[in-house]
Amino acid sequence: MTGAAALMLDLLLVVLVAFAGWAALAGRGVFRAVVFFIAYGLLVALGWVRLGAVNVALAEAAIGAGLTGVLLLATVGRLERAGAARDVPLMRGAAAWVPALAGLAVTGALVWAWFALPLPESPGPQLAEALPRSGVENPVTAVLLNFRSWDTLLEAIVLLAALLGVWMLGRDGDWTAPLGLRQHVREGGVMAGFGRVLPPLGLLVGVWLLWAGADAPGGAFQGGTVLAAVIVVALMAGVAAPPGVDALPLRVALVLGPGVFLGAGLVLAALGAGFLTLPEAQAKAVIVAVETALTLSIAVTLAGLVLGPPTAPNGAAARTPDGARP
Amino acid sequence: MTGWLGAWLLLCAAGVLVTLGAALWRVWRGPARADRMMAAQLVGTGGVAVLMLLAPAQGWAALDVALVLAILAALAAVGFVKASTPDGAGDPEEADAPHDPPLDPPLDLATDSARSDRDVA
Repeated sequence: MTGAAALMLDLLLVVLVAFAGWAALAGRGVFRAVVFFIAYGLLVALGWVRLGAVNVALAEAAIGAGLTGVLLLATVGRLERAGAARDVPLMRGAAAWVPALAGLAVTGALVWAWFALPLPESPGPQLAEALPRSGVENPVTAVLLNFRSWDTLLEAIVLLAALLGVWMLGRDGDWTAPLGLRQHVREGGVMAGFGRVLPPLGLLVGVWLLWAGADAPGGAFQGGTVLAAVIVVALMAGVAAPPGVDALPLRVALVLGPGVFLGAGLVLAALGAGFLTLPEAQAKAVIVAVETALTLSIAVTLAGLVLGPPTAPNGAAARTPDGARP
Repeated sequence: MTGWLGAWLLLCAAGVLVTLGAALWRVWRGPARADRMMAAQLVGTGGVAVLMLLAPAQGWAALDVALVLAILAALAAVGFVKASTPDGAGDPEEADAPHDPPLDPPLDLATDSARSDRDVA
């Protein structure tokens, strides 16, 4: 009975995910595609929960449905202000065959790889054996912060590099200006009220996810993403003003995570344990310290990615009258 | 979580998913942008409901996902309202008379034909 109900639920979910994905790609209209992408992220998060991958579900819910949605909605608005938001006519004839065949070739290669590559050995027994010595009980955190901490360190640095890439898109003359657009709201309005209600709740949830990550699904990335949303809402609602790229607290927050991570690795190496090799006794303390610093850096970096490069106060100069739209 | 209660919770979750299918139809059909966005918000709310129904069977960590969905789905609404203002950084409420009550003149996000997509047949 339970099995039949579960099967029905899963089939429904598969149909909805497939429809949302198809509609995001196949429908016309940029705005509709963006909204379908947000709905797709929400539904895929449900799918990850059904598969028992709650860590992935948390990341998908926060990134796919939350931050990416805001980023894409802002992009649609910006395209329209620049008079560039128009549907590209569907390709016909020979020109349409090249991308279609290229897409088919990639799909074919992936299918071939799926059958040709050997299945990876299940990590079950080794992981269960090593988990008690990792300092944490959440196997995902154990892998990310202990067994494969090299990968996580490099990912934290990649995030920072991505933010630097976004900042490079700003104009030279705007370098010392605050990040992103100048936000303004009606005092006492809905948006301003939202900016006072949501951030404290989000702060609580973000810190909880960081703390829970040691023993249950959660962790630095999931907590940091929720905190990034808190920062974005507070700035959009005009509760706080965005800093400039030369603000010292901003720079400290950005490098704190990778810095503490790298520092912990070097100290461990100096003590003779080997670079990023966590001794069993200190593992928990090191992981909590690194995760806390990483959470802060991830939050500020992701918020910076959503806000965009430094922009002079009248940086919306690319605005054109509505009539310019073709 | 086995037996009739588990099956009943899963059936309820499937029922909520059906309503999410209706929400997706609204995202497809529109016609105004606010219709599509509110339907996406409904998908978020319904997702929270599904997760809460799944939590007893799936593990209580599903409630954390529900919390994150609830907070982050609201963020998308803020992003939508911001993006629909003239400079992308404003607030529809400050449009004309900054000190008037918020609904005077009425906020017409839902029926503003200039803002609705033109792709609807």
